[in-house]
Amino acid sequence: MDRENDGINKNLVELSTFLVGNALCGMDILKIQEINKLIDMTTVPQAPSYVLGILNLRGQIITSIDLSKKLGLGETNMSEDPRNIIVNSKGEHIGLLVKKISDVVQADTSKFEPPPSNMGGIQGEFFTGVYKTKDKLIGILDVDKVLKLEETQK
Amino acid sequence: MQIEDDEILQGFIEESLEHLADIENDLLAIEEDGANIDEDLVNKVFRAAHSIKGGAGFMGLTVIQDLSHVMENVLGLIRSSKLVPTPEIINVLLQASDKLNTMIEDVSNSNNYTIEEHVVPLNAIYDGDFTQPAAKEEPAPVAEIVTTEPPVVETISAPEVVETVPVPVPEPDPEPAPEPEPVVVAEPTPKPVVQAPLKKQSPPVKKAAAKVKVDSSIRVHVSLLDSLMTLAGELVLSRNQLLQTISSGDTQNAESVGQRIDLITSELQEAIMLTRMQPIGNVFGKFPRVVRDLSAKLNKTIDLTIVGKDVELDKTIIESINDPLTHLVRNSVDHGIESPAERTKVGKPAKGLVILKAYHAAGQVVIEISDDGKGLDGEVLAEAAINKGLITPEQAQLMSDKEKVNLILLPGFSTAKEVTDVSGRGVGMDVVKTNLDQLGGQVDIISEVGRGTTIRIKLPLTLAIIPCQIIMTGGERYAIPQVNLEELLRIPAGQVKDRIERVGNAEVVRLRGNLLPLIRLADVLGIKRTYFDQEEDKFRDDRRERICDRRGKETALDPEEEAILRAQELAASKDSDRSLDDRRYTASSALNIVVVSNGSLKYGLIVDKLQDSEEIVIKPLGKHLQACKGYAGATIMGDGRIALILDVANIAIMAELTSIDGSDRASEVAQAAEDLVKAQKDKQALLTFRSSEQEQFAVPLNQVERIEKIKRSDIEELGGKRVMQYRGGSLSLLAVDDVAMVQPIADQDDLLVIVFNIASQLVGLLAIGPIDAMQISVSIDDVTLKQPGIMGSTIIEGQTTMLVDIFEVVGALFPEWFEDNEVYEAADDGGVVPTILIAEDSKFFMNQVKSYMTDSGYDVIGGEDGAIAWELLQQHGDEISVVVTDIEMPNMNGFELTETIRKDARFSKIPIIALTTLAGEEDVAKGKAAGVDEYHIKLDKEKLMASVHHYVKQLH
Repeated sequence: MDRENDGINKNLVELSTFLVGNALCGMDILKIQEINKLIDMTTVPQAPSYVLGILNLRGQIITSIDLSKKLGLGETNMSEDPRNIIVNSKGEHIGLLVKKISDVVQADTSKFEPPPSNMGGIQGEFFTGVYKTKDKLIGILDVDKVLKLEETQK
Repeated sequence: MQIEDDEILQGFIEESLEHLADIENDLLAIEEDGANIDEDLVNKVFRAAHSIKGGAGFMGLTVIQDLSHVMENVLGLIRSSKLVPTPEIINVLLQASDKLNTMIEDVSNSNNYTIEEHVVPLNAIYDGDFTQPAAKEEPAPVAEIVTTEPPVVETISAPEVVETVPVPVPEPDPEPAPEPEPVVVAEPTPKPVVQAPLKKQSPPVKKAAAKVKVDSSIRVHVSLLDSLMTLAGELVLSRNQLLQTISSGDTQNAESVGQRIDLITSELQEAIMLTRMQPIGNVFGKFPRVVRDLSAKLNKTIDLTIVGKDVELDKTIIESINDPLTHLVRNSVDHGIESPAERTKVGKPAKGLVILKAYHAAGQVVIEISDDGKGLDGEVLAEAAINKGLITPEQAQLMSDKEKVNLILLPGFSTAKEVTDVSGRGVGMDVVKTNLDQLGGQVDIISEVGRGTTIRIKLPLTLAIIPCQIIMTGGERYAIPQVNLEELLRIPAGQVKDRIERVGNAEVVRLRGNLLPLIRLADVLGIKRTYFDQEEDKFRDDRRERICDRRGKETALDPEEEAILRAQELAASKDSDRSLDDRRYTASSALNIVVVSNGSLKYGLIVDKLQDSEEIVIKPLGKHLQACKGYAGATIMGDGRIALILDVANIAIMAELTSIDGSDRASEVAQAAEDLVKAQKDKQALLTFRSSEQEQFAVPLNQVERIEKIKRSDIEELGGKRVMQYRGGSLSLLAVDDVAMVQPIADQDDLLVIVFNIASQLVGLLAIGPIDAMQISVSIDDVTLKQPGIMGSTIIEGQTTMLVDIFEVVGALFPEWFEDNEVYEAADDGGVVPTILIAEDSKFFMNQVKSYMTDSGYDVIGGEDGAIAWELLQQHGDEISVVVTDIEMPNMNGFELTETIRKDARFSKIPIIALTTLAGEEDVAKGKAAGVDEYHIKLDKEKLMASVHHYVKQLH
C-alpha cells in the first residue's frame, strides 16, 4: 500500500497493460509480483468454474484464475499462449490468466477518468477508472474487487 | 514506568512465568507433605519467589517485588519449620502466586495492581495471627481460574481494579484513561461501577499484546541448536558439491551428492521438528491444581494420577489442546466422579480417581482422561438425542452401545442444561470435538455405566508434516492423511461380483463379515469416472454405472441376455481386441479401495490407482477454493506438481454418508450390517475341500495346522499305512474314505495334504482341490448324512457338504493315539461320576460337546439357553462340577449366565468354560470380566477336554 501511495503522490504510475477478451486492461505494475507462462496446473474438482487450478510457484501454492471467465467473457483459449499475472491480493498470491500481455504505460493518476458502465463487455464496477492514451483506452482493473468472493459465485 | 531494555524485561517475564508454573505444583506437593517438610522442595519455591523478587526490584516493578517479598517471608518460616503448611496457608500462597502470574503477564500495568488482599493474610501468617480470612472469598475466583484462560485474567483483575480507585495512577502511565479520575473522585458512590468497565477495557488489549510476545519465543536446548548448525554447515558443503558436479556434468558423482543432500535434509527436518517439540507436561502440569480446587469446591476427594509427562508434541498442538483437556478434566471431576457418599453406597472407595495419561501409539500421541466415576449411559444419551431430533428412534435401535456413548460428541447435542441433568455430562463436548478436529485429532469415548469413562484423544505428533497415502483418480494425484487410513483393499476382478453388493442405493463391500459403505472418489468430486488400464499403463473412461453391474446379485440378467453375452465372450476369446476391451477378466477390473475412518465413521473410497505413501507438507488453499470442502489443503510432490489432500470427513458428508445421519443410505447400510452381524455371531470358519470330484467336505478351520501340495509319488505305503516325508519325519496320511463310506480319493497326480495336530501328533488328510476357507452360519444337519467320520452336513453355496470329524477318523485308524488320553475313571472317586452342565442353543454343537464328554466318562446335563442352564444349575447344584457354556444364546447369553452364576455365593467357585466360534479379543476380555475361567474354540475337542479334566481333577 505504501508503494501505491508513493505513486499517487508523484501522480505518476506505471501501468502494466494486458488483454482480457478484447478489452485492454491495466493495473499498477507495483501490484504485480511477476508474469509467467506457467500453465502446468493441477485441476481442482468442485472448484468455482473460473478457477483453472492450482500451480506450484517455487514452493508456494497459487490459485490460478481465468480472468476472462471471471469477468464473464468466456474462457481464455489455452492454445494462444496465455500468461499468468501473479498478484498479491489480501495476503495471498493469485495467478490471473490473461490472453496477452501488452506494453507498460506511464500514466498520470490525476488524468484517470471515472469508468463507463461497461467496457468491452466487462462490468464497469470492476474498474477504478479509465486512462486515455493517444490511441488506446485502458481500463484500470480493481484487482481486489475482481477477486472478492461473491456469495452467489459459490 | 519506563522499561528501558525490552529484552531484559522479556527475559524476566519468561523466567518468572516458568518459576510460577513450578511454584504451583510445588506448593501442592508441600501441602500434601504437611508437617514432614521436604526441605529441597520448600527451598526451590523459596528461591523462585526470591528470584522473582530480585528481578522485579531491578526492573522497578515494585508491586510484584512487594508481593513476592511477603511470600518469601512465609516460605522462609515454612523452610525453617517454624510454620506447618496447612491447606489454608497454601491456599493463600497459591492465590498470591496466581496474582503474581497475572501481574507478570500484564507487566506494564503491574504497578497499578493492588495486593492488599494477599499481603494482609500473608503478613498475618508471618506474624503468627492468621485466622483464615480466605475461607469465604477463596472458592469463587479460584473456581473461575479453571474455566478458560483468557477470561480468568479479567475476572481476577476486575475486583482488584475496583479497589485501586483510591490510589489512582501513581506514575506517568501509558494508559490512556485520564478522565475517570475526576469522575470517580466527584461521585464516590458509583465508583466501582464506573471504574470497573473503564479500566477493564484497556488492560486486556495490552495483555493480548504481551501474551503474544511471550508465546512467540521458545526455549531450545543449546545442543540441539549446535546440531542444527552442523547440519546447516553440511548442507552448504553439499550445495557446493552439487554446483560443482552440475558444472562438470559428472553424473556419477551427482548421484552420491543427491544421496547426501537427501540424508542431510531429512536429518535437518527431524532436528527442526525437535525444536518445536514440547513435553506435554507443560499442559498436564496445571491439572493437579485444577482438580484440587474443583474437587474441594464440590466436596469431593479425588486423586489425580498423571502418566507420561515427558511425551512430546508440537508446540502448536500443545497450545491448542489446553482448553479441550481442561474441559474434559473438569467434566470428569464435576460430572464423572460421584460424591463420596454416593461412591461408598455403591461400594467404591470414597476417593475418586482421575487418570491423565499420554503415550505414543502408531506414530500418534494418545491422551487418555479416565475416571472411575458413574460412566455414561448410552440409553439415556440416545433418548436425549432422539428428543432433540438429532437421530431417529430407528437409528438409535441400530446403534451399538459405543456409538450411543459417542452421540455426546454430536454438534447440538448438549449445551442445554437439561442434558446435564439427565446424563450428567455433555456440556459442550461437541466444542471439544471441533477443537480437536481442527488439530487432526480423533476423540473416542469408552464408558461403562457405574465403572467410569475413558476419553481417548489421538493427536498427530505435528501439524507441519504428515505421512499420507497417495492415490490417483481421474489422472490426478490426491493425498489421504495416514491418520485416516485404515487399510488398503484390492478386490480382484473375479471377486468383485461376490464382494460388492448393493443395498438400496448404496454400494457396499463385504470386509471380514462387515458391510462397508463405498464411495467413488470420482463421483464425489464430480469428475469423469476412469479406471487404470495396467496393460496400456493409462487411464481410460469407465462406462459402468455400478461397480457390480452385470455381476451383482440384485442385477442378475435374464437367461436370454446372458446367453448372448456368453456367445460374445466366446467370440471375444478368439478376437484379442475384443477381450482387451472386456474388462471383466483383466486385472484392471480389480477395485482399489482405500478404507478410511474418521472417529466412528468408516467407509471405503474407490480410487483408480494406489501409489506410495509419502511424507508431505501441508499448504493451505487459496480463498477461492475455500468452498471446496473436500480438501484439507494441498501439497507439492517430488516432481513439482501439486496434489490435493482429501478431507475424509467432509467427503463423507458430500457423499451424504454420515454414520448417524438420517439418510436412507446410512440406515440401510446399518440395517444390512446389523443383519449380517446377527448372522455372523454363530458362524463357523470352515475349510472346504474334496476327496473325490463329486463330494465336498469341510473341516473346522481352526483345527487345520497347514495345507501342503504334494505329488502322488510322494506317498509311500509301508506296513499297510500311508506316510510321507514331512519336515524330517514321517507324516501319517489318511483319507476320508478310510473310515467313512464315501467315494475313494480321486486318482490324480496333484494332491493336497491337510495337516492336523491331533493328540499332539501331526496327521495328514489327503484331499484334492478346490479348497476354500469360508465362514458360514451354523445350520448343520446331524442326522441325514451322519456316519463314522462324518459329523453331519451343511449346505455351502448350494452344495451339500459333509463335515469331517477328524477326531473320529483318526481315532478309528489310530486308536492307540488316544489311549493316553484321560478318561474319567468313576472308580477313582467312589463311584460318583462328575456331571458337566452344558449351555448351548445349537443342537449340533450340543450333541458334539455332549459326545466328547460322555466319551470321556462324564455325565452331562444340557440346557438350550442360559436361562434354562441356570435353572438346571439351581436344581442340580452340588452335582455339577464344571459349566460349559456357549456365548451367543437366546434369552440369556453366556456372559449373562456367567455373571448370574458368579453372583450366587453357592456357585461362585464353579469352573466356567466358555465356547465360542470366533474368539475375538474383545469377547475374551469381556468373558474374563464376567468371570469365565477359560475360553475354547468350539470343536477343539482336545483343548476343551484337557481343561475339563483339569478342572474336575482340581475339584476332587
